Amino acid sequence: MAQLTQDEVFAKVRKVVAEVFKVEEGQISLQTKFMDDLKAESLDIITLLMEFEEAFDKTIPDEDAEKLLSVQDAVNYIMSMEEKVPQA
Amino acid sequence: MRNRVVITGLGVLSAIGQNTDEFWKSCLEAKTRVERIPEHWLHYGDFHSQILSPLPPMDYSSYGIGRIEEKQLDPSSLIALACSFQALDSAGLEYTTLDRKRNTYSISSLDKDRTGVFMGTGIGGLSTFASCFSYQVLLRQKEKLAKAIGQLGDHPIREILQQVHDRMLHARRFNPFAVSMTMPNAGSANVGIKFNLCGSNNAYSAACASGTVAIGYGFKAVRSGELDAALVGGVEYLRDDYGAVFTGFDAVRALALDNDHPDRANRPFDKDRTGFLFSEGGGAVFVIEDLEHAQKRGARIFAEIIGYGETCDGFNIMMMESSGAQITRMLELAFADAAISAGEIDYINAHGTGTRLNDETEAAVIEQVFRKDVLINSTKSLIGHTLGASGAIETLVTALSILHKTTHVCRNLDNPMKDLNFVTKVDSYPICTGLSQSFGFGGHNAVLILREYR
Repeated sequence: MAQLTQDEVFAKVRKVVAEVFKVEEGQISLQTKFMDDLKAESLDIITLLMEFEEAFDKTIPDEDAEKLLSVQDAVNYIMSMEEKVPQA
Repeated sequence: MRNRVVITGLGVLSAIGQNTDEFWKSCLEAKTRVERIPEHWLHYGDFHSQILSPLPPMDYSSYGIGRIEEKQLDPSSLIALACSFQALDSAGLEYTTLDRKRNTYSISSLDKDRTGVFMGTGIGGLSTFASCFSYQVLLRQKEKLAKAIGQLGDHPIREILQQVHDRMLHARRFNPFAVSMTMPNAGSANVGIKFNLCGSNNAYSAACASGTVAIGYGFKAVRSGELDAALVGGVEYLRDDYGAVFTGFDAVRALALDNDHPDRANRPFDKDRTGFLFSEGGGAVFVIEDLEHAQKRGARIFAEIIGYGETCDGFNIMMMESSGAQITRMLELAFADAAISAGEIDYINAHGTGTRLNDETEAAVIEQVFRKDVLINSTKSLIGHTLGASGAIETLVTALSILHKTTHVCRNLDNPMKDLNFVTKVDSYPICTGLSQSFGFGGHNAVLILREYR
């Protein structure tokens, strides 16, 4: 499967974030911070990780949650995981 | 202080109906829903009984429950929420969004601090626990096994190891919400959270009597004036990947055995009964209110709850005490509570599981205590045994039988074990006062007495 571009990852991340926080996709940019802007609670972050895992078919270790503070962090993190996928 | 307590809202999910109208129509048509146990369960055990009553596919999004929210709730909680939405709708209690992100509501015509939730369940979120347990136990072992299989080449053992690997079923991940999904109070708590209800909120676990006990305690709280209103009922979900819960009942030979005649195997009070029909689950929830509170808001009243009684056999964890002495005492307590005599009871929704001893003991008590012409049926003859939900679903049938002056037949009752007035046809019956009784593993006996509202 072809690797996703940054724009494609952002589009999927934005969709997940909008569903988890019940906000319009248009309200979410790369700069959006989960805690400060979306008032995320700890259970929201757990939910986000679960939904990212499902959306990108990846396993995200729980300890990596603290690295994901913003949409940009999430996009970078998922892009870095995409790069680790061995090419056939 | 003893306020009158009335039922003003009804909700149900069952094998034969996903709302009250559909359920009642199915009851009167003596519908049932029975199928073979899942084929893959046969890889994990030898089952004496091989039939169950499945729930139809559920669409919880029709209750406004989101995709993510659904993944964080055990099916028993989802059933509790769906039944609660139905009960509130039927009670004409409007709910408006309180918090969009949390997907919660408030009910403006109820005082949230004086409205409680009382929910019965036998096993709570056991299916979630089973699913997470399988993941924990199997994931890493399965990965190792897959690696070893990959190194086997065309070795003859490869096929059987692959089969073992493929039969190690588990969830896609360990659900981080496992604890809040599994705990038995989850159904009760989730209803309180969904509708921002802040009065007493408790789960009642008394095995197959759970639903009856929960309604009984809600009834007492409203009658005493502690609460204006409550959502009360019972829920259960019993399916798991491996049929482990099913095996628990099958191992003690509690389940119906006539596998060759699935449609006829479930036959409470029949001489040829062999056990109960295992149900995948279900639930029923009621809105109950203090009469004055209901009248003030012009609510429709379906029936009145006038008495509750409970005892414990204090005898055996799985076997009913065969003299029925504590069942008789339970009835005496309930009659005293309702200030009526046994002769005033027109209709009994029996526990009626279809097991040898239960029906024998229950029928003997009924013969001894009640009028000869008291009408009797077993809702389990239609939907099987929903364990902790059964008392609530059967209380619903009792309320509807009083309301509509008719009731459903005892399905498959070809050779009654006793000469009692079992319902054999749907007809017009003068049902003014009825009761629903439940008996649970542990020796829990509980009964609710309902009367037409007048």
